[in-house]
Amino acid sequence: MFSFLLNPSRFNKLIDIIFRPLVIITSLILIVGLFLVYYSPLDYQQGFTVKIMYIHVPSAWLALLTYAIMTIYSIIGLAFKIPFSFIINKAIAPIGAVFTLLCIISGSMWGKPMWGTWWVWDARLTSVAILFIIYLVIIFLNQTFENREVKERTIAIFILIGSINLPIIKFSVDWWNTLHQPASVSKLSSPSIDLSMLQPLLAMTLAFSLIGLIIAILRIKAEILLRKKYL
Amino acid sequence: MIILKKIFLFLKRESKLFYSNIVDLFSNILFFFLSVFVFIFALGADEQLLKSIGVGIIWSLLLLSSTLSLRKFYEDDFKNGVLMIIHMGGMSYELIVILKIFSHFLFVQIPFLVSLPIVGIFFNLPINEVYNLVLTFFIGSLILSCLISISASMNLLNKTNFSIGSIIVLLFSIPLIIFSVGINSADIHFNSLINLLIGIALIFLGIAPWSSAACIRLALKNK
Repeated sequence: MFSFLLNPSRFNKLIDIIFRPLVIITSLILIVGLFLVYYSPLDYQQGFTVKIMYIHVPSAWLALLTYAIMTIYSIIGLAFKIPFSFIINKAIAPIGAVFTLLCIISGSMWGKPMWGTWWVWDARLTSVAILFIIYLVIIFLNQTFENREVKERTIAIFILIGSINLPIIKFSVDWWNTLHQPASVSKLSSPSIDLSMLQPLLAMTLAFSLIGLIIAILRIKAEILLRKKYL
Repeated sequence: MIILKKIFLFLKRESKLFYSNIVDLFSNILFFFLSVFVFIFALGADEQLLKSIGVGIIWSLLLLSSTLSLRKFYEDDFKNGVLMIIHMGGMSYELIVILKIFSHFLFVQIPFLVSLPIVGIFFNLPINEVYNLVLTFFIGSLILSCLISISASMNLLNKTNFSIGSIIVLLFSIPLIIFSVGINSADIHFNSLINLLIGIALIFLGIAPWSSAACIRLALKNK
């Protein structure tokens, strides 16, 4: 049932069916999410700048999610020698880099009026910046080696070592005294965010992940076509 | 018993190679001293300023100078086929990597340890900070050797992009530099920071052998 996640031809067949409906659904959800953001209440302290959160939080989650997917596919690719996982690794690394950059830029645009500075050397901010550098190194390694097998495996090993950073990012706000606020949505107890702000946030998260998925699908298809011609 | 003899012979070979090429180490240390001098000239000889930022500068220059000899870590043995011959002699690649890390720690990092108190004099560091520096470098150099091993084995077949190896070492040495510089300002948390450093060293000692061995196998297969 889930073999389309490991098999390129199954993946292509499934994508040919669902791609158009996916684009329509994504644009609908994006429009609904933007309307929800437009009509969402202002914060009593932050005013209009609270709306940066609806871009900042989804892109941060997606940056982490992309790296987690790459880690899982690296394990699959190294352990079971499935080449499709290396295709996915190569295809979605720039997407994660762009989401990380979006997260950093929107965060510093929020930080200037709220904290009074564009950047602080805080644990959460620093670890996200390191995540961005790790993404850049992965993209550079993709351009480095001549032999394709060496390139794929080396990148997979590098991704596995770099995944040490993921729990550090997640728990940095709990382990250290940070200026960045602790987790308010993804807590084990009930989320400490009001429902009128949670609804647009979840809608925007869904829209962002679907946009990322569409770009990833296009990039994976392009990579498969490139390799078929190459082989 | 025979594996012990093999390990001993491997270390003996490493030490012979090292002593035949000892000028390389001396120029590494010279680079370290010279970069310290350049830093002091660039900052001006303000004693209070040098005392307050000394440890951080020493650590970052140590990192930079340890990445200088990065590419030589496996490349000679890889090119003339010694790695494969040792493997055929009955040692797994993981064991070879561990021995390589150990010999690098013994023959390259320990001589740096001697030069640290001298650099401490240049920065007018108090004696307890020099003591902390030597202690943290003793643990941290093991981490550095592991990182250099990982990065060097990843770049065995890389013929175009020479700086990516140094980038990988610097990237993963960030926790090391945070905890080892922060140990001077932590008076109560001294022991917990030392434990954290030892923990990081154990993590990298666990990661480095399998990842380096996997990269070496891959490179030998596609040589």
